[in-house]
Amino acid sequence: MIGEIIINAFLVTLMLTIAIFIINTRKVISTILLTGTYSLVAALMFVSLDAVDVAFTEASVGAGISTILFLAALSYLPKEEKEEKFNVKHIYAICTCTIVAGLLIWASYDLPLVGQLENPVHQNLAQDFIEGSRNHIGIPNVVTSILASYRGYDTFGETVVIYTAGIAVLVLLYDEVSKTSKINKEKNK
Amino acid sequence: MIDQIFGVWNYWIVFILMMIGLYIVISKKSLLKKIVGLAIFQTSVFLLYITFGKIAGGTAPILTDNVNEIYSNPLPHVLILTAIVVGVATTALGLALTVRINKAYGTINEDEISASDLVEYHEKYLEDK
Repeated sequence: MIGEIIINAFLVTLMLTIAIFIINTRKVISTILLTGTYSLVAALMFVSLDAVDVAFTEASVGAGISTILFLAALSYLPKEEKEEKFNVKHIYAICTCTIVAGLLIWASYDLPLVGQLENPVHQNLAQDFIEGSRNHIGIPNVVTSILASYRGYDTFGETVVIYTAGIAVLVLLYDEVSKTSKINKEKNK
Repeated sequence: MIDQIFGVWNYWIVFILMMIGLYIVISKKSLLKKIVGLAIFQTSVFLLYITFGKIAGGTAPILTDNVNEIYSNPLPHVLILTAIVVGVATTALGLALTVRINKAYGTINEDEISASDLVEYHEKYLEDK
């Protein structure tokens, strides 16, 4: 129990440190790699919070595919950010963020403590899903049975979203793709 | 005592991470950095949901033969699985837009983009006159 708490606290603090480093890096490549690391640490965090399915999705999709997409985009983009001086707009941004963070932390005293069995979240649906998965669906992994059966329409909607995003990306980059293929054809002639 | 600290520590760090993401989105001029900020914000929200689902002393929600086993709540896990994949779709779309903007303007710095818009507008205005 105490070991779990220490690991947990260490991992979230590591995430915080990485996020603070991301703010001030100007080289885009290090920003991208730090973001990948951040996702991986988040995946470790999910394992320690018992969400194994979320952890491997975050590690493969969040840390893997995202990083690859960023690196692919970087090949078309400037490699370094312009230096900007600390000005009054930054002070407004810091003030806004500090106030909102303060309010949220104040509100967190009304939230139930982490990990209590009697929290409202655990009272209603979860037990039905676990029993249903055992008795009606017959898949030992409860997350899979909810994803594919109880909330199957959600997953269907997700597929539609990805399809739409894929088409949108293709439409946006159509010129880029067709031009490079044209150049290749001319080279071949 | 230590349970109390553990009970709210995760929430605090999650809120601070959220605000770091928001700060990057508000104050950084580079469009790519803004997308990174959004990703940080997103991951912190995932962490908040998964934290809600945790039960101390529970295991991952994979059924075992032990009848008295306590499982963590699987419902937030499912919601976040969907959100992670949708998050990557939005990141891809944002990056495609950024690449396109870089092609049209030659920069992804917000200030320079609006400056060149302004110049274009004035030139058109003068021509019309």
